[in-house]
Amino acid sequence: MEYIDPRVNRMELPANDDGKEIIESLEEWETYEVFHQKKRGEQHIHVGIVHAANPEIALLMAKEAFGRRRQTANLWVVKTSAVTATDYEDQDIFETTPEKTYREASDYYCMDRIRKYQEEHGIEDRKEERRKKKEVRVK
Amino acid sequence: MSINTGEMKDIKEFLYKIADDQLIIGHRNSEWTGLGPVLEEDIAFSSIAQDKIGQSLHIYEILHSMGEEVPDIIAFARKAKDFRCSHLTEYPIGEYDFSLMRNFFFNHAEHLRFEMLASSSLEPLANLAKKYKGEIKYHIMHSDTWVKQLGRANEESHTRMQSALDKTFNLALGIFEESDFADALREVKVFDGESVLQDKWFEEISSILDKAGLVIPERSKWVPSYGGRKGQHTEYLEPMLEEMGEVFRLDPKAEW
Amino acid sequence: MYGNAQIDIKEKSKSLIEGEDPVKLAEFEARIIRGEKIEPKDWMPKAYRNQLIRMIEQHAHSEIIGALPEGTWITRAPGFRRKLALMAKVQDEVGHGQLLYSAAETLGKTRESMINDLINGKSKYSNVFNYPALTWGDTAIIAWLIDAGAIINQVTNSKGSYGPYCRALERICSEESFHLKYGHDNVVYLATGTAQQRELVQDALTRWWQPIMHFHGPPDKVSEHTEILMKWKVKMATNDEMRQRFLDEYVPKIWDLGLTIPDPNLKKNESTGQWEYTEPDWEEFKRVINGGGPCNKERLQVRRWAEERGAWVRRALMKPEQKYTVPLA
Ligand SMILES: [Fe+2]
Ligand SMILES: [Fe+2]
Repeated sequence: MEYIDPRVNRMELPANDDGKEIIESLEEWETYEVFHQKKRGEQHIHVGIVHAANPEIALLMAKEAFGRRRQTANLWVVKTSAVTATDYEDQDIFETTPEKTYREASDYYCMDRIRKYQEEHGIEDRKEERRKKKEVRVK
Repeated sequence: MSINTGEMKDIKEFLYKIADDQLIIGHRNSEWTGLGPVLEEDIAFSSIAQDKIGQSLHIYEILHSMGEEVPDIIAFARKAKDFRCSHLTEYPIGEYDFSLMRNFFFNHAEHLRFEMLASSSLEPLANLAKKYKGEIKYHIMHSDTWVKQLGRANEESHTRMQSALDKTFNLALGIFEESDFADALREVKVFDGESVLQDKWFEEISSILDKAGLVIPERSKWVPSYGGRKGQHTEYLEPMLEEMGEVFRLDPKAEW
Repeated sequence: MYGNAQIDIKEKSKSLIEGEDPVKLAEFEARIIRGEKIEPKDWMPKAYRNQLIRMIEQHAHSEIIGALPEGTWITRAPGFRRKLALMAKVQDEVGHGQLLYSAAETLGKTRESMINDLINGKSKYSNVFNYPALTWGDTAIIAWLIDAGAIINQVTNSKGSYGPYCRALERICSEESFHLKYGHDNVVYLATGTAQQRELVQDALTRWWQPIMHFHGPPDKVSEHTEILMKWKVKMATNDEMRQRFLDEYVPKIWDLGLTIPDPNLKKNESTGQWEYTEPDWEEFKRVINGGGPCNKERLQVRRWAEERGAWVRRALMKPEQKYTVPLA
C-alpha cells in the first residue's frame, strides 16, 4: 500500500495487533525535576520534568526540553525520588499571626521621639532645613 | 588578503562540501521528528537537525555573497551531481543505532573542521566557526553520551552499536576525501587539508569509542567511500532531493 | 475535543460524587470557588481525577499524533524558512506531548500506560488527525486553523483548577502563538501567490472545513454531570462556546483573503451575536472517532512503529534499582 507520508512508505509498518502492551513498565525510566536559571545571579526555578535513565541523559534532555526557547545560564536536574516536600495538608504551618509586626521594617518609627527631644533641647531639625533649600532651588 | 579567481572557485567548492554535508545530514535527521525512541530525545534530535540545516543556510548565504544563487535555489533546485556531500550523509535513517553512529562520526569531523576554520585567513569562515561553537559542542555531548552509554548498556545495545559502527565507518572515512584544490587552500591559509583533519578526528573518536567498548576496524580493512566530493553519489541522494524539492519546484513563479 | 471534558458512558449512570466524603468534598469545592489551584497530592474526588487524566492524556496523545500529518511535510517543505519553521513547530508539538504527559503523570497514571492505551485504541486523540495532510496547502491550513482551534481550547483550559495542567498549558500557549503566526503567514503566501498556490490553499480549506467544525466536539448535552465539571473547573466552556469563539475570530480573517468557506449558511447573526452555520455531520464524526476515518489505522501503526523501534534504546538503559516516583508538580 502506498501512503501519503513518504516516511511511512520507507517503514515496515507493524501489524495492528491490539491489546499487546508495547511498552513495559519502567521502560520510560525515572523522572528528574528540572531547575532552570535564566541568568547568572538569578535563582534556579523549577520548570518541569524529564524522563531519563540517569543524570547525564537527564541533563542532555532537559537542555532541549527546557532550554531551547528561553535564555538559560544553568540547569539542574534532581531525581524526583530525591526530593522531600512539605504536605499541602500542612499548609497551615506557614500561616502567620498579625501580631508579628516586630519583624517588619514598617513597624519601626521613632521620629516623634526625636522631634520632641529636638524641640525640648533646641536642636534644629535637618529635614526642615533641607525642605527650605529645596524650595529655593525650585524657585 | 587578496584572492584570485582560481582560489575563489576553490573556496566555493570547499564551502559547498561543508554546507551540503550539513544540509543532507540535517534533512535525514529531521526524518526522526515525531518518531524518536523517547519524547525527550525526539525533541533533542530535532534541535540538532535544525542546527545543521541552519548552519548550511548560513554557508549558502556566504556563497550567495560570492556570486552564487540564492540559498533556496542552491538547496532545493540543484541537481544531485552538483552536490558535494559525502556518502555518509546520504543514507536513509535506518535504525536509531545507525543514525546515532552516523551523527557521532559526523559531529566530531564537523567540530574539528570548524576548529581549524576558526584560525582561517578567510574572515567569514572564521566567524562561522565561532558562531556555531556552542551548537556543535552540544551535538558532540549528545552523540558522545549516547554512544558511550549504549555501547556498554546491555548485549543488544552493544551489538547494535558495534554493527552500526561497522556499517558506517568506511562511509565516515569518505568525509575526508581530498579535493583537487586542497593545496591551493592550504597555501592561502584557508584550510589545512583533509588528512590533517582525519588524523585529529581519528584520535578523538578512538578515545570515546574505547570508553564505549566499541572496536574500530583495523586500518588494513579501511575502504573509504569516496566520490561524494566529486559529485558521484549513492543511489539515495537523488530520490531524497526529489522529495525535498517536490513542493518548491511545483510552480517556478511561486514564492513560498 | 482536543482536551475538553467529555462524560464517559460508564460514568453517565452514576453521580460523579457518589461515595465521596462530604466534608472533604466541601473543602475541595470551596478551594476552587476561592480561585485556588488543586495540586497533585491534594484530596480530590475520584471523578475529578479520572476526568482530568482522560482529558490531559487525550490532549497529550493529540500532540504526538498531530506531529505525524505535519511531520510528513518536513522533508518536502519549500525553502529554508518554511523547512526550519515546520521542524520547530512539529518539535514543539512533541514537546507539548511531553509536558502534558508529565502533567497527567502527577495524577498517578504512568507515561508507559498512557502510550500503551493510545496504541491499543483504549484512549482517543483529536479526531482531526485521522484525516490526511494531502498537500502543502493542508499543512498551512492545519498550522493556522487547527492550531487556532487548539489555542482557543488551551487558553480556556489554562484557567482551570488543576495546577500542573494550567502550568503546562501556559508554556504551550506561548509556543502556540508562533504556530499560529507561522500558519497564517503560510496561508497568506499561498492565498496571495500564484493561481496554483491559491488553488492549493482553497482546496485544503474546502477539505478541512468539516474536520475544523468538528474540532471542538458535538454540542454538549445539558446534564448534572456537565454542571459539576464546570463547577470543578475541569470543563471551562461548552464545546459550542469554543466553536463560536473560533468562528468569531477566524472566519473574518479567512474571508479577508477572499477564500471560500464551503458552507453557504455560515454567517454572523448580528442581533444574537452568534454565528449560524450548517451543522457538521456528527454521524461522520462518530464514525471517524471510532476507527472509521481515513488515517486511524495508519496513525496508530506509525506510533507503534516508533515505540517498537525505540524499545531497545529504552530497555538498554533500564536499571534494576530504578524505581518510579510520581512527579511532584
Ligand atoms: Fe500543540
Ligand atoms: Fe501547535
